[in-house]
Amino acid sequence: MDLLVKQVSHRYGDLDVLQNVTLDIPKGKIVCLVGPSGCGKSTLLRLIGGLEQPSSGQIVQIGDPPDACLNPLTYVFQDFALLPWRSVEGNISLVLEDHDIPGHEAQRIIADVLERTKLTDFRAALPKQLSGGMKQRVAIARALAVNPAVLLLDEPLSALDSQTRELLMDDLLALWSRQAFTAVYVTHNLHEAVRLGHVIAVLSRRPGEIKQLVELDIPLGERSPDDPALQLHQQHLWDLMREEAIAADKELVDV
Amino acid sequence: MSEPRPVKFRGGGFAPTSIKWIGPVVFIVLIGLLELGTQTGIIAPLTLPKPSDVLATFGELWRSGQLWLHLVPSLTRLLMGAALGVTTGIAIGIAIGLFSHIRAGLVPLVAAIFPIPKIALLPLFVIWFGIDEGSKYALIALGTFTPTVVATYGAVDNVDRSLIRMGQSFGLSWRSIVWKIVLPGAMPGILSGLRISLAIGIILLVAAEMLGAEHGIGAYILQAGSLYDLERLFAGVVILSLLGVTVSAVIGHLERRILRWRS
Amino acid sequence: MTTFTRRTALSLMGAAAATPLIGLPAYAKTKVRVGALRFTSHSASFVAFERGYFAEEGLDVEFKFFQAAQPMAVAIASRDADYAVTAISGGLISLADKGAAKVIGGALSEEAGTDGQKFLVSDAAYQAGATALSKLDGKSYAVTQAGSSFHYMGSKMAAKEGISLKFKPLQKVGAIIGALKSGQVDAWSIVPHIAKPLARSGKVHIIGNVADYLPDYQVTTVFTSAANAANERVKTEAFLRAFSRGAADFNAALVDKTAGDEAAEQMVKLIHKYVYASKPYEKARNSIINGAMRINEGAAMNAASIQDQIDWFKTEKLVKDHITMETLVDPSYVKAS
Ligand SMILES: Nc1ncnc2c1ncn2[C@@H]1O[C@H](COP(=O)(O)OP(=O)(O)OP(=O)(O)O)[C@@H](O)[C@H]1O
Ligand SMILES: [Mg+2]
Repeated sequence: MDLLVKQVSHRYGDLDVLQNVTLDIPKGKIVCLVGPSGCGKSTLLRLIGGLEQPSSGQIVQIGDPPDACLNPLTYVFQDFALLPWRSVEGNISLVLEDHDIPGHEAQRIIADVLERTKLTDFRAALPKQLSGGMKQRVAIARALAVNPAVLLLDEPLSALDSQTRELLMDDLLALWSRQAFTAVYVTHNLHEAVRLGHVIAVLSRRPGEIKQLVELDIPLGERSPDDPALQLHQQHLWDLMREEAIAADKELVDV
Repeated sequence: MSEPRPVKFRGGGFAPTSIKWIGPVVFIVLIGLLELGTQTGIIAPLTLPKPSDVLATFGELWRSGQLWLHLVPSLTRLLMGAALGVTTGIAIGIAIGLFSHIRAGLVPLVAAIFPIPKIALLPLFVIWFGIDEGSKYALIALGTFTPTVVATYGAVDNVDRSLIRMGQSFGLSWRSIVWKIVLPGAMPGILSGLRISLAIGIILLVAAEMLGAEHGIGAYILQAGSLYDLERLFAGVVILSLLGVTVSAVIGHLERRILRWRS
Repeated sequence: MTTFTRRTALSLMGAAAATPLIGLPAYAKTKVRVGALRFTSHSASFVAFERGYFAEEGLDVEFKFFQAAQPMAVAIASRDADYAVTAISGGLISLADKGAAKVIGGALSEEAGTDGQKFLVSDAAYQAGATALSKLDGKSYAVTQAGSSFHYMGSKMAAKEGISLKFKPLQKVGAIIGALKSGQVDAWSIVPHIAKPLARSGKVHIIGNVADYLPDYQVTTVFTSAANAANERVKTEAFLRAFSRGAADFNAALVDKTAGDEAAEQMVKLIHKYVYASKPYEKARNSIINGAMRINEGAAMNAASIQDQIDWFKTEKLVKDHITMETLVDPSYVKAS
């Protein structure tokens, strides 16, 4: 299943947030959204996931999600959004309970996603017992449990320290290599973008429009952190964004 | 240059720790002083009863079975009234928390009912619900209802919106979101509201038993007051205090069990 | 509680009345605070005040008005009032036991031949067959509080009739009247000037006289703090003398009716200043005349009745067992019968 963002504009009252955004999200690819603070990245992600309706334009779904897919468009949030009163297992079963899944099947799914995210030993733990990185792994496991057609990740790693971030990025890459998933990945962090993105969409400052689409041809599996080619791309992205970021920063101060 | 010396520590205080033994000691010292004062006559018998006499009265209550004669009807009234008030309070509070129309309609009403001294309505309740148990249940129910409503909708308002958004993003049904996210998320607020509601319930017990109650701790205290029997008055008051401590301990236990997940 | 002073009027009257008296007592202008309820039964003090009997005794009286007998008894104990009239209740006995109050004379009493307190039933109970006191078995009986005079009257009546009653404490006379009218309680007893208008409304029926069950019942007594009774003999005697003169006037005008119609009318007008003051005179007049029960001559008290009441409170476990007549009463001031 592919997604197509078609000439989407969005406004909150008097505030123009997105302007005429058109973006292709092809199956099996990771599209990264980068852009200065407040340019409308999260808003765009909410529009794509159907949590909000655009003021104008359309989000189009091309093709059907696979049969086993319980929740085609599935989020992973920056703040993890785990229910603190449920165990790791309970948090995952939460999203299965509303579907008519027999108990043993649910158990199988849970065991599978826990295994894929290396959480099998933490099945019974409560969120308060977990580190930030572990919490985000639980959130990813939960997202995987519904077998999504598209994963929508809103700065999933920015609440984590840089070492943990590096480790989780490796995990995401491993997950993708094992079974390619489609994803829209919002981030501030250009390093993440060049490690994970097949396509990187650079948004201008608010009202956000697509300033440039950068495609990276290097296969995900071959991208290493200190690859000079990647660093070049990262530098290029930064050059694109620098002016915008400075302007956006000033704008915020003016508000 | 002066001598090297350790940096002065200035980080103390402002960190309350639980020192278990001080509470009981304060009680014991205070009661001991009162006993001394009443024994020696520094405190006139008209002013305060001897703590030992209060204890004796309490023992007498216990031995004669009068304690249960008074405690059982009071506990029944508290339980029935509070169960009624708290359950409807939680239900209405959640409805207010979830639906804007209900909120707009009921919040002013609740705000209007809250400050009414419920005791003032007792004669009215007697006419509506009868002089027997009905009016007593109603008084305690109304008294516990309003604080529960306010605590509950406040608690629902404070449920982390991002969790609700998460539920929606996974396509959970409305029912599931309410039962599995909103309610458990509101539980800490509801339970701390319950503490206040039940304390008010105990306070209202005495008021409820003003009209037409033969037995009950409240009736016992009122009777002791009208007989100017200070020993019984204090014995009754001590029973109410113990009731309050017990209720608070039960809620504390519930909190520790249900809210184990809180850090 | 309202405080009512007519000190200017008093000093004028006092001056006028005192001048012809030779050898004014040494305790002249002693300040005395008298606790009172706005009931006809408290008229002796009002008469003594209005007619200057207190002033003649050299007492500068200030009334302190209360809504109920209970806080008045406490005010005596706390020395906020010096003398007052109230029914014998468990509270009063307990205060006496704590060395705070002492009964020094009699006030209102039941007596054969004078209209006294009535037993009432609600219309609902009456229609259901409770047409006589003997038929009240198992019914509810209103009292203000356990150990009040209402409790005593109901309990003594029930004992004589061989029935059992459920006593319902309702705290206030107003609440009792409401509950009785709406049929929430079945029976009660009260002074005639409240009983009769209630009966006329048809919602309540009079089915008996308290005097038939408690002949010579000493309903109310004059009491003071134990300190006054023991150490302020001169002042206390002076108070009782003036009080008795007021009582005598009252009895002659409204109970025995030996003073003539003119005097009766004067008396009602005097009392109306204090009782039913918010009602128009015509209405108040009836209530006052209806409510006139004998106030003991010379503040004498019926010792047998008081003893009976003490015994009843003890058997009901409402007061402590060691209490005797001496605990409650200082018999040195007035005649006891
Ligand atoms: N529900 C809303 N109502 C009104 N304004 C909103 C709403 N949500 C976002 N905005 C505004 O829209 C603009 C874009 O917000 P958005 O969260 O999409 O930006 P962002 O690119 O994700 O920023 P960041 O990098 O800080 O996460 C901001 O100015 C924000 O204040
Ligand atoms: Mg954002």
